[in-house]
Amino acid sequence: MKHDVDLSVNIAGINMKNPVMVASGTFGFGREYSDFYDINKLGALVTKGLTFMPKNGNPPPRVHETPAGMLNSVGLENPGVQGFIEEEWPHLSELAIPVIANIDGDTVEDYHKTAKKLSSLEGLAALEVNISCPNVEKGGLAFGQEPESAFEVIKAVREATRLPIIAKLSPNVTHIQKIAEAAVSAGADAISLINTLLGMAIDIDTQQPIFSRKFAGLSGPAVKPVALRMVWEVCEAVDVPVIGMGGITTWQDAVEFILAGASAVAIGTANFVNPTAPLEIIEGIKAYLDMKGRNLQDLIGAARG
Amino acid sequence: MNNTVAALADIVQNKEIAPNIYHMKIKALDIAKKAVPGQFLHIRCGKTLSPLLRRPISIADTDEKTGCVEIIYRVVGEGTRLLSQTLTGHKLDVIGPLGNGFPLPEKDAHCIIVAGGIGTAPIIYLAKKIASEPKNKNSVTTVLGFTTKSEVFGEGYLKFPGVETIIATDDGSYGYKGFPTDILERLLQEHMGKTDPIIYSCGPKPMLIKVKEIAASKNIRAYLSLEEHMACGVGACLGCSVKSSRKGYKKVCKDGPVFEAGEVELC
Ligand SMILES: Cc1cc2nc3c(=O)[nH]c(=O)nc-3n(C[C@H](O)[C@H](O)[C@H](O)COP(=O)(O)OP(=O)(O)OC[C@H]3O[C@@H](n4cnc5c(N)ncnc54)[C@H](O)[C@@H]3O)c2cc1C
Ligand SMILES: Cc1cc2nc3c(=O)[nH]c(=O)nc-3n(C[C@H](O)[C@H](O)[C@H](O)COP(=O)(O)O)c2cc1C
Ligand code: FES
Repeated sequence: MKHDVDLSVNIAGINMKNPVMVASGTFGFGREYSDFYDINKLGALVTKGLTFMPKNGNPPPRVHETPAGMLNSVGLENPGVQGFIEEEWPHLSELAIPVIANIDGDTVEDYHKTAKKLSSLEGLAALEVNISCPNVEKGGLAFGQEPESAFEVIKAVREATRLPIIAKLSPNVTHIQKIAEAAVSAGADAISLINTLLGMAIDIDTQQPIFSRKFAGLSGPAVKPVALRMVWEVCEAVDVPVIGMGGITTWQDAVEFILAGASAVAIGTANFVNPTAPLEIIEGIKAYLDMKGRNLQDLIGAARG
Repeated sequence: MNNTVAALADIVQNKEIAPNIYHMKIKALDIAKKAVPGQFLHIRCGKTLSPLLRRPISIADTDEKTGCVEIIYRVVGEGTRLLSQTLTGHKLDVIGPLGNGFPLPEKDAHCIIVAGGIGTAPIIYLAKKIASEPKNKNSVTTVLGFTTKSEVFGEGYLKFPGVETIIATDDGSYGYKGFPTDILERLLQEHMGKTDPIIYSCGPKPMLIKVKEIAASKNIRAYLSLEEHMACGVGACLGCSVKSSRKGYKKVCKDGPVFEAGEVELC
């Protein structure tokens, strides 16, 4: 008899029918990939990073390929929270899946204001607080590098909203567990990681860095082992659910993250390579669990012994 | 209806037509039916994780009857090298048609199409499309520029009624000596006093900058097809920006690759 696999998972009150979400900044506001499949099949959707005021982003070039990966220096181009509410929320609110707004800021105050404004949206599932963007001058990454500043940002967001808070951590730190602990003690309901790894590339013809901001964020299959190790470490340190990401390209990659302790995974760069990657990953996890005669819950952290 | 298709298309031809320039035909009926000149395909050139990202390549022609979509590409790096080695009978992983194409003229228009090097590829499709509606009485002059005689291609693809083709080489080894923009200036001079022509252009950035300058100085409408490095190709990553003349940036993959010259800053 075929076993009816239960893929559902609840993360801090966000009910997902499967554990596969799409990562912030790789899926726009959900319009583009609707051409390829019904995005209501995803576990959840995370928006591009939003700031209080609109942001133009960095001058080109913004992307550069590396072995099994890519560097990006988009610089948080976004319509601002008001623009998002007017232009994107109307169609996003019609989706049947949880929509999570990713937020960023130059100051603690910015995060607070953005969170407050978004809290008025009926149906928004959660806020993912990006304290890890490497591509902007102020804020972003800087907040995610010290436990104290991570605490401050998450606390300010906590005071602004009753929505579940997911703190998105940067891998560009020495002690990831300390940052995760600080975020949780400030009120984060879940942790997601990793954002991109700081990297760079130099053009040997012009003998200049490729990117105007010199450093950029590395993502894609190349970062997967680092991401997996950090997810493992964070799962050890905190009791809240963890969303794992970084280089997930196949269902096997996703299963590794879940075995390491992640309750859900997010697909980023793989969308660019294979637009239907998230669907194939959902199907793959399902077939794997079917074969093992297990449910998703049995798999989470199973490698930890 | 979906505008963009992901397909594993049969490769029916992949042959070298000039040194390092390949002409590939694939069978992708859904793409052939939807495509317009100026749109592109986003192609997975290899099967492994390197190169990881797809490569944007313009559509050089389509045939709705056979379902064929054609591309012409130059081998410049690993992606295009792998593409040149893919064999007839194998499958090609493509998504498309992507982006906004060239707005077509209505009627009685004189179209001057200026292409440089591999920029000739989308121009073939455009010229053919305009000429395929003889009742509109549009005339087309294509000006193709290459560095030297051995690089020249495309002349043979443009031999149909209603299209005149002029070739220029930088060193004068074939056709006129000089840049295609020199010829553009001459054509505009000859055309003076008649109805304003429409300029279309695709090619290296310095050429596009010159075309934009000429069009602006004579107050003529011009459409330019731009290139930028891409990741997603569908408007989701904001990786392919070009500076807008007004505010912020535009996405080459989604808002372009064809822009009206005044819309964008080419620096
Ligand atoms: C909308 C669009 C349409 C295009 N149409 C065609 C076409 O019809 N035929 C054709 O031969 N080429 C076309 N190109 C350019 C083509 O995409 C690049 O040549 C290709 O991506 C190079 O890949 P590669 O792996 O072989 O080279 P890489 O190793 O990636 O790069 C080799 C060289 O090519 C340059 N390059 C890489 N990617 C791009 C890019 N996206 N745009 C411009 N330069 C790039 C690099 O800077 C480098 O100098 C188009 C590009 C765009 C954006
Ligand atoms: C082009 C691009 C844009 C991104 N923008 C954001 C963003 O706005 N906010 C954010 O928190 N993370 C952003 N990220 C990081 C991803 O969400 C993800 O954490 C990272 O890319 C690792 O996953 P991957 O290797 O599967 O892509 C971006 C990544 C890419 C490649
Ligand atoms: S390549 Fe991703 S937005 Fe254009």
